[in-house]
Amino acid sequence: MPLFEGVDRIAVILYLLLVAAGMVCITSASYNDSIEEVFSFKHFYMKQVIWIGAAFGTALFILLLDSRYYHMYAYYAYAAGILLIAGTLVLPEKIAPVVNGAKAWYKFSESVRIQPVEFAKIATALAVARIMSNYSFSIKRIGDLFRVGLIIMLPMAIIVLQNDTGSGVVLCSFLFVLYREGLNKWICIPILMVAALFISSFLFTPLFLLSLLVLIFTISDAMMIGAWREHIVFLASVGVATLALYTLSLLLWDRALSAYVCMLIVMIAAVVVVALLAVKKNIASIFLTLALFVGSMIFVPTTDIIFESILKPHQRERILSFLGIVSDPSGADYNVNQSKIAIGSGGLFGKGFMQGTQIKYNFVPEKHTDFIFCTVGEEWGFVGAALVLGLLCALILRLMKIGERQQEPFSRIYSYCVASILLFHVLVNVGMTIGLMPVMGIPLPFMSYGGSSLVAFTILVFIAIRLDASPRKGLSEW
Amino acid sequence: MADNDAHIRRAILKWVVLGVFGVIGFRVAYIQLVDTKYKRLAAGNVLRYEVQYAPRGEVVDRNGEFLVQSKECYDLMVIHRDIGKQGFDTVRFCNIVGITKEKLVAALRNARMRPRAPMLIANYVSKEVKLRFEECNFPGFYTVYRTVRQYPRKIGGNLLGYVGEVNADIIKRNPEYSAGDYIGMSGVEAAYEDELRGKDGVKILEVDTHGAIKGSYMNGAFDSLPIPGRMLTCTIDARLQAFAEELMEGKVGAVVAIEPSTGEILVMASSPTYDPDELVGRERGNNYMAMLYNNRQPLFNRAVKAKYPPGSTFKLVQGLIGMQEGVLRPSDTHPCHDGYHVGRISQKCHSHYSPLDLRSAVAQSCNAYFCYVFRDIIENRKYGSVKKGLEVWGEYVRSFGFGRKLESDFLGEGGGTVPTRELYDKRYRNSWNGLTVLSLSIGQGELGCTPMQMANLAATIANRGYYYIPHIVKAVEGRDSLDSRFYEKHYTNVDPRHFEPIVEGMWKGVNIPGAGTSSQAMLPGLDVCGKTGTAQNPHGQDHSTFLSFAPKDNPRIAISVYVENGGFGAAAALPIASLIEEFYLTDTITRPKMLENVKNMQIYYPYYAKKR
Repeated sequence: MPLFEGVDRIAVILYLLLVAAGMVCITSASYNDSIEEVFSFKHFYMKQVIWIGAAFGTALFILLLDSRYYHMYAYYAYAAGILLIAGTLVLPEKIAPVVNGAKAWYKFSESVRIQPVEFAKIATALAVARIMSNYSFSIKRIGDLFRVGLIIMLPMAIIVLQNDTGSGVVLCSFLFVLYREGLNKWICIPILMVAALFISSFLFTPLFLLSLLVLIFTISDAMMIGAWREHIVFLASVGVATLALYTLSLLLWDRALSAYVCMLIVMIAAVVVVALLAVKKNIASIFLTLALFVGSMIFVPTTDIIFESILKPHQRERILSFLGIVSDPSGADYNVNQSKIAIGSGGLFGKGFMQGTQIKYNFVPEKHTDFIFCTVGEEWGFVGAALVLGLLCALILRLMKIGERQQEPFSRIYSYCVASILLFHVLVNVGMTIGLMPVMGIPLPFMSYGGSSLVAFTILVFIAIRLDASPRKGLSEW
Repeated sequence: MADNDAHIRRAILKWVVLGVFGVIGFRVAYIQLVDTKYKRLAAGNVLRYEVQYAPRGEVVDRNGEFLVQSKECYDLMVIHRDIGKQGFDTVRFCNIVGITKEKLVAALRNARMRPRAPMLIANYVSKEVKLRFEECNFPGFYTVYRTVRQYPRKIGGNLLGYVGEVNADIIKRNPEYSAGDYIGMSGVEAAYEDELRGKDGVKILEVDTHGAIKGSYMNGAFDSLPIPGRMLTCTIDARLQAFAEELMEGKVGAVVAIEPSTGEILVMASSPTYDPDELVGRERGNNYMAMLYNNRQPLFNRAVKAKYPPGSTFKLVQGLIGMQEGVLRPSDTHPCHDGYHVGRISQKCHSHYSPLDLRSAVAQSCNAYFCYVFRDIIENRKYGSVKKGLEVWGEYVRSFGFGRKLESDFLGEGGGTVPTRELYDKRYRNSWNGLTVLSLSIGQGELGCTPMQMANLAATIANRGYYYIPHIVKAVEGRDSLDSRFYEKHYTNVDPRHFEPIVEGMWKGVNIPGAGTSSQAMLPGLDVCGKTGTAQNPHGQDHSTFLSFAPKDNPRIAISVYVENGGFGAAAALPIASLIEEFYLTDTITRPKMLENVKNMQIYYPYYAKKR
């Protein structure tokens, strides 16, 4: 069939499987026995059927369009996207109501609402791809970098103003694309580090964080230099030395030193030793790693100190709620706890379709939208969760592979944009349900209930698929 | 951009993706496959275990009349989380339930500590209150069906015992109980706890996040129904028990009556007693404390715990031992000149003719006669010394059930005291003789017996030489028999043939006018046998006791009555025993004047008036 000629089948199949899995979970999570009729459109799952239909229609339409249009109209799409999201801010509440504290919706009728931010992501992806594929564009030039930054930051700022921080942060994922296109790693790494450390310093204990840092730095250093054996020896000796020091402190000084302090002492000594060895053996690259490590070691406690002692309580709260971590401490904790209980109680094979008590009896909030992964985990167990994660991972890798095989930089960059948006969504959404990430209200691609997100993700992915199939001419040609 | 660089970046990004999914995958695997606490927590969220309390077994008397019944009542529980943010009308709540606001506030504060757990707000909520309460529909509150005790005859407080909620201490010792359970604390309730308790059932329900019940868990596959406690048939005769308690009013002491042919306890009255209903319900705590600090100690079950000197009733035992030891023949006579006098030692006696034989000595309750008998026993040459003689005597006495627990089914039974050689060796630094311990001969001195042991002596004599262990329960529902020990004859160390002269003496004391101290106990045609006792009491008026059985042949009741500070045995204890016997054997009272006298008898107790 000429319509599907050149279409990447694997990507489409992965997409279909994910939508199907989402449908199953939404059905289970939103089944409401107070509505008598099984096929009533009062059920969320029946509404989702309509949305899936709409999404398939849109996908078909995208495959029919000439691929050149996307390049051609990228900036127009971007402008439209910006207008759409800015519109929610200025339009009256009647058209743009406040939902869950965010003024980020358009209301068409009681039941049909659109979240324009989902579409703004597509527009931004197109614009980024367009500007970066420009012949004269060089990422090494500050001016060009600044322009890309502006394209990303503008919608981000508007979204944050909408009070929808989670969706705004999603645009940070373009860093992934910028890196692929040659952004200096010494810009990427510190940004990532600061972000990761800032979030993790709230999530983890100091000891765990320090161990994580040591692990990450050693492994990344080993990846850069090679010499895996030496790095493993280093890790092992740090571990043994910490344990020895801790045991010694237990025996001799009656628990004078906590495990964290022991590790800190060992690490300080280790840094000095490594530095001396590096000087002796003349390995300059280690110093960068060391500097970063020492920097982050200092950064972690200082965030805490700044946060706890310098900032006033209401300022603290504002920052935390900006991060989306604890707007309502007991509430957020409760939700994440229930979510973990739901997933954790699933075991290997899960409790079965519509058998999840955490889901069925409403212990998990937003179980058919943002917390849909709980339904997967509780009712289908580790097998189901691993399957869904595997599908998502495969789709992301597939999109990256699609990107790499493109002749046109525009297509490649766009594919990477899609992959990075998906990756970020999965990381934050699933991470939130299992307590790895702070709670930010962003959906799980293809699976969470909601027309806007399903249609938007469909458009996002199918544009990439269409671009990939582009040697075939568009609709007008045949 | 160099191709090589792009290649490395591609690889790194691929690893970043794989790394992200790896971390998520490991975390999911950890909480789903390794950490089991989430399964527990999920069950804790959704499952609510509702205890279905088993109704406690009821107790009837030997004629099927209810002594203890179970009455429907409710525990008012709350799950604090479900109350709701807007709260509820506390004033209306308190009015309906009938508790004070302070108590409600305290209970709610307690419930807030464990917001998801069912917590008790009030117990002993009556059915009427429960129905009214449920109409009002307070969110978060619900009632749990239970039963409480109810005593239709309001008798036998110490006998039946009471039921209380288990405390932390009891739960520690008996892990099969959990907070909120009831347990028998004393009397029959405690002794037959295992039979009466039954087995609580459980209903496992699924609740949603709001605590609303969504249905039963696994269609009730793991539910269990409560198994009601077994019904007990008491050996007690409720009418007789009530009568005995009525007669004992105003006196301190105890009445124990036994059916000699079975060992079944017909009456076990400890006085002062209390209305068992007072130890049920919300007022229990207050009433209990009031009784605990009452000087007359109504909670002390004198019938099985008190150690009383048996006084002259003990002469029966001396006579029996004397005959068995061969130092006394029933025809032997001993003189009595207003007592027994040796040197400075003397045991006074009342005036009667002298000398007398054994039968007359029993009838007349001659002190001197039994001083001779006792000395003959313990100073018997074949034992070489008085000390050895006392040991032999002690063995005999213990074979009658004195100085040890009778092993009845009643908990908290006291053992009484039979003095040993060691006791006197210690007290008199090894230098003592028959005269030193002479007061034992007439049941004084170091002897201490429980009223049940004395009643058991009456039953042993009635049976001419053996007894069945006195017991309080006749039958347990669903069991064919009691413990085998209650069906065994326990012989004393005295040959049954020696009992007849003693019985005759007891009969003579009652039935031959002028021949004895017990003639008031005579009941025409019933051949009552009896023995009075007057125990000297260093704290005031002598104790009055009477030991009796009837009829003489095929006896149906053996009884011991002990009235503290009652004076002569014939004064207080005898009429009480006699009236009970008459009532039991003939169902009538032919001596209204005696009845009235006994009822009007209010004994003054200086000892119990003292503040302690």
